[in-house]
Amino acid sequence: MTGFVVWNTSVYNWILSLPRRGSRTILILEHDAKTLLAKRGLPVPEGALYAVAAPVAPDFPAPWVLKAQVPVGGRGKAGGIVFIPDRAALAATAHRLSTLRIKGFPVEEIRIEAAVSDAREIYLGLVIDAATGRVSLLASATGGVEIEAEAGTGIHQFSARPEAVEMTAALDDLAAALPSDVAAAVRAAGEIAVAAFLDLDATLLELNPIFLKGDGSWIAGDVRLDLDENALPRQPEFAALLDARPHAYAEAVFKRDHGFDLVIVDPEGEIGLVTTGAGLSMQLIDEMSRRGLRPYNFCDIRSGMMRGSPDRLIATLRQLCTAPRLRCVLVNIFAGITDLGEFADLLLAARAAVPELQVPMVVRMVGNGQERAEAILGAAEGLELIPDLDRAVTRIAALCDA
Amino acid sequence: MLERLIDHDAAPLRVMVQGATGRAARKHIARMTAAGTNIVAGVSPSAAPGDTVDGLPMFATPAEAVAATSADASLLMVPPLSVLPAARAALDAGVGLIVTVTEGMPVRDAMHLLHATRAAGATWIGASSPGLAVPGRCKLGFLPDVALSPGPLAIWSKSGTLSYETGLRLVGAGFGQTAWIGVGGDPVKGTRFADLVPAFRDHAPTRAVVVVGEIGGTEEEDLAEALLATPIGKPVYAILAGAAAPEGKTMGHAGAIVSGGKGSLASKIAALEGAGVSVFRSLAPMVETITADMKETKP
Repeated sequence: MTGFVVWNTSVYNWILSLPRRGSRTILILEHDAKTLLAKRGLPVPEGALYAVAAPVAPDFPAPWVLKAQVPVGGRGKAGGIVFIPDRAALAATAHRLSTLRIKGFPVEEIRIEAAVSDAREIYLGLVIDAATGRVSLLASATGGVEIEAEAGTGIHQFSARPEAVEMTAALDDLAAALPSDVAAAVRAAGEIAVAAFLDLDATLLELNPIFLKGDGSWIAGDVRLDLDENALPRQPEFAALLDARPHAYAEAVFKRDHGFDLVIVDPEGEIGLVTTGAGLSMQLIDEMSRRGLRPYNFCDIRSGMMRGSPDRLIATLRQLCTAPRLRCVLVNIFAGITDLGEFADLLLAARAAVPELQVPMVVRMVGNGQERAEAILGAAEGLELIPDLDRAVTRIAALCDA
Repeated sequence: MLERLIDHDAAPLRVMVQGATGRAARKHIARMTAAGTNIVAGVSPSAAPGDTVDGLPMFATPAEAVAATSADASLLMVPPLSVLPAARAALDAGVGLIVTVTEGMPVRDAMHLLHATRAAGATWIGASSPGLAVPGRCKLGFLPDVALSPGPLAIWSKSGTLSYETGLRLVGAGFGQTAWIGVGGDPVKGTRFADLVPAFRDHAPTRAVVVVGEIGGTEEEDLAEALLATPIGKPVYAILAGAAAPEGKTMGHAGAIVSGGKGSLASKIAALEGAGVSVFRSLAPMVETITADMKETKP
């Protein structure tokens, strides 16, 4: 096992990856995004990646920008991007970054990059518009972190179906709407962006800012790239990135290697959840939180896709054993695909494989094969069958109080 | 096609199942048939002329299946990267309704399929729909039989499992469904909540609509807009999951600009309540309210 995702920042950090169930989008860290885009011809400032705990002066000249590599937007406003004039400030600045938490995320890596000066900042963004199934292309002659304030006035927007010809036509429209000095840079950067967006199965690609110099040359100061996790099987570069840097993409790696979602939402939580279905699992955590209960994890075990193997259940139960304050486990399976008789056998096999799990287990199951499942589990020790979810949660509350 | 699907007096759909040979698919074909679905053909690329699976005639392509059986709807049970080509083949063969139940279809494929179904004048439910059902008449997909029962409610849902729990409790309270449409939790999908409004507005047997939503996307807000534009003429209830989740999905500046600040739970609640929808964050009170309202307005 490659380790479960623990973001001990707040309950529901996992939900940041919405829209989830059907499809999830993975934010590619700036350094990796720039590496992927530079290979496709995008000019980016010279830069290198370092562990924040061990920064080294790069072999290109100062001034530098130290940039926290965290999987959220808004780093700059949160103090995660710092300009330094020379190497004297390097160690102290890196140390200060190492103490930051940006929207809950600790800073573990930084990209040190050659600073760009005397340039105006322009904006280019490509994003999927889910409602229309089109790609929106946006650009503004004024970029930077305050770009959203330009919405409605300074931002030009065109949309296209996800095909190179249509998107390039939209890019032409976009360029035509901009001042001529900006238009050339947007056109050139946009061509690379359109190709990369399609080629990489991106859901979002922003170049913000693009630094535009007085001589008309330009360079991408920041790259925000989100990739579609569902496209991973046909994206060798994305797959290679996960292999090369698993610690930086723990959630995506876990999902790929185990085929389901398990996220620790509260390391101090008392209730282990073995549940299927993101919607009902999320609602269950809602209801428990409202009652003052403390669920330890979110879980969408995809009980319909276990293919007769108890591996997912064993992995989940083992993880629950590491919860220091675990009082009980709730199993809730209400599924359309799952054969509950088969699931019951797998649950018993998993319990036998993880004997160190000693807390009481409440099991609620509804669906196909329910009678056989109840017969199988009815004979098991340390396990209560409760057919109604509200009553099962009430029983869990009593176990936490005991 | 939706109108015909939910019209009890219309001719039943003639359904083909693409990917009909897997173990799970065969089990579900048996359940769907038992639920009344008129399944006329199976499609599997390796099928030879004259093949049958559990008595169902098999064809190598949708075109052959349609030619031989006049199938007019297709349920796809195929792997994620095969959904787009398989669905295109079904559209080319002329079916008017496509239901896909596969999790993991790439977003770009979903965008292509959305445009292809629109160009063909067809209806697509998916990408990862748990299925749809008109209880007593037909079921396509995985909706659990225990939660299905003929009755006065329409259920529209993004989530599979949360809608199962919702449906089960409402059936327990005595209220089954006229129709249940699982639109799926995908960002880009064939049919959104708002697309369902016209067919159910004119559907007399449906006395109320239950929407099962969750944070993310702008579908609930878009539904509210559609309801305001053309009132549906019957009560609408919504349960929304993700109450304790942090606000806002980070889709960059571009996403924020394109979605115009929609997508959070607060924005969904405000929009839906503004359109006269009764919004709940917990199941028990919703079931109680629906029970009380339905008794009051009993026809």
